Amino acid sequence: MNAILLRGVKKRYPPREPGLAPQELLSGVDLEVKRGEFMAVEGQSGSGKSTLLHLLGGLDREFEGEAQVLGCDLRALSDAELAALRHTQIGFIFQSFNLLPALTALENVLLPDYFGSGVPDAERRAMEALDRVGLADKAKAKPAALSGGERQRVAIARALVARPPLLLADEPTGNLDARTGEGVIALFKELHADGMTLLIVTHEARVSHAATRVLILREGRLGPEDAQHSMETL
Amino acid sequence: MRTGKLVRLARGNVVRELPALAVSAGGVALGIGCLVFFLALGAGLKRVVNDVFPVSTREVEVVVPSLAIGNILGEQKLDETIVEKLRKIRGVSAAYPKMQLRIPAVTRYNGLFFGREIHMGLEIVGVGLMPELVGTDAHAPFEDAGEGKPVPVVVNRRLLELYNKVFAPQRGLPTLTDTMLIGFQIPVELGRSYVAGKTLPNATEGSLLLVGFSDRATLAGVSLPLAAVRRINARFGADAETYSSVLLRAQSADDVSNIAAAVKRMGLEIDETERSRALQIGAAVELVTLALSLLAALITGLAAINTMQAFYASVRERTREIGVLRAVGATRGDVAAIVLAEAAVTGLAGGVVGVVLARIAAVLLDRLARTGLPDFPFKPESFFHFRVTHIAVGVAVALAAALLGAFLPARAAARLDPAKALTES
Ligand SMILES: Nc1ncnc2c1ncn2[C@@H]1O[C@H](COP(=O)(O)OP(=O)(O)O)[C@@H](O)[C@H]1O
Ligand SMILES: [Mg+2]
Repeated sequence: MNAILLRGVKKRYPPREPGLAPQELLSGVDLEVKRGEFMAVEGQSGSGKSTLLHLLGGLDREFEGEAQVLGCDLRALSDAELAALRHTQIGFIFQSFNLLPALTALENVLLPDYFGSGVPDAERRAMEALDRVGLADKAKAKPAALSGGERQRVAIARALVARPPLLLADEPTGNLDARTGEGVIALFKELHADGMTLLIVTHEARVSHAATRVLILREGRLGPEDAQHSMETL
Repeated sequence: MRTGKLVRLARGNVVRELPALAVSAGGVALGIGCLVFFLALGAGLKRVVNDVFPVSTREVEVVVPSLAIGNILGEQKLDETIVEKLRKIRGVSAAYPKMQLRIPAVTRYNGLFFGREIHMGLEIVGVGLMPELVGTDAHAPFEDAGEGKPVPVVVNRRLLELYNKVFAPQRGLPTLTDTMLIGFQIPVELGRSYVAGKTLPNATEGSLLLVGFSDRATLAGVSLPLAAVRRINARFGADAETYSSVLLRAQSADDVSNIAAAVKRMGLEIDETERSRALQIGAAVELVTLALSLLAALITGLAAINTMQAFYASVRERTREIGVLRAVGATRGDVAAIVLAEAAVTGLAGGVVGVVLARIAAVLLDRLARTGLPDFPFKPESFFHFRVTHIAVGVAVALAAALLGAFLPARAAARLDPAKALTES
């Protein structure tokens, strides 16, 4: 069964200046991700990777075409249903971590517990998630006291706390140095081994190497990797 | 989203945004402080007015209309038959006739008066009341003991207040309390007058025994048992049948207007002098309270606008954070609820601080009045009367102002497009 199914997805933004044609960022994206797959999506900066990911994560409903995530037709869901989908089914990881600076690491991981019907046994699961990313000893630390790699691992713990079957990540290693990036990639491999579906947007070859399949977002469409256009040659 | 979690999340945010929100809460506190202060002042002044002019909403005083005296329809007289008719009016629970002492009387007092030698002569004006009306205000039987015995009297409490605050200080006389005075006996001469030519031929000597102070007693003179007045009037050949007024007590305040109408139909009138004076002053106090409360409401309104600006700024600043909350499962409603909960915390804090400020201001003002103002009749212990409802209204208005102010920012926060919010730099 598919975790993700996109058919002819188009996304337009209004023109930058009045009089110009609207920008079509996605112009008919087709995508099928099987459950348990580890998919990497590459693409140049500005190619629409974040836009695609927001759309898949139920954060952007203004698009054309057909989009199914874990069997749910995204365009048919209400605001509350979409929120529930994000809450229980999807873990989201950002390039810039997006931790709440006023909260401790543990409190940041507990954030999903505030919404929907909460997270069962939240405290224990949050500690488990922190332990899993190797930060159990930093539970009480505020983000400002953590390194970039640690912050991203807290963000990953937050994405995992509700045990969603699908993880979406937007350039998760983009702000990390090579060594800390490796740690995050190793964690993704583990999650994949546990049966999680991962879709990681990246323009780093080392991330793509860890994936089971790599697609390129180019000129508004997703296509297979080919030597000519591979990021490695750029 | 459960309330407990919502409050926890909001509380954290409020603590973080404290400097900005403290200004909003301070504005609310100022407005609510003024509001509660003025409401309590209004209630306090009303209480003073009620002390000076105690009026019952259940009682009316029936008199013969001044125009009807000697009127062509024949003189309307308040006699026993009329009193019986008044008693039968629907809604009347009791009727208490009163009779004026219709002969002159004087007191002459030469001797020690609480440690001072005084010489005093006064014309006495007296009204006869039914003992039931005075009730427990009398500390000895308020009944006519018969010819030759001291006649018990009760005096209006307000007269004692006037004596203590105005009369005594001017003449260097001692300040008196009711317990000091009860049991005091003064000699009287019935039928005698200091006004030349008014003295009756068979004037007799007697005495009055002060048995208590009562709001029921007349303000003009002393109040005697009705039977004593009837006896004395009869003894001097004056009218001992007609009453000067009848106090009607209604079963409830709602019956009063019906009773008044029935009284008018009988060709009688209701004496409104005390009541209308009290009502006028009460209305004036209420009007001023209302005006000042509106001023306070205006301040609170400005505080609401300030709150709105603070929350717009806070929402703008937290755009990205709101995107994150949406990404981890918050609905639009959750986001609005978080902003409104923060506003509620701000408003409640402002309201509570405002109430406390009002109380402090009242205590300071009362202290100032106690030491700075000269003693005057009916000078109250406190010019304020804080009712639970004032405090409830204050806190509720504070809450409402903050929620109203945060309404548009909360809606704006809820309407943020999460994808856009997350790409905000
Ligand atoms: N809300 C928006 N309104 C208009 N244009 C937008 C908006 N969001 C993104 N874009 C455009 O989309 C492009 C970037 O898309 P994005 O998905 O962030 O690319 P990537 O993540 O691959 O760098 C930019 O060119 C930007 O101008
Ligand atoms: Mg991007």
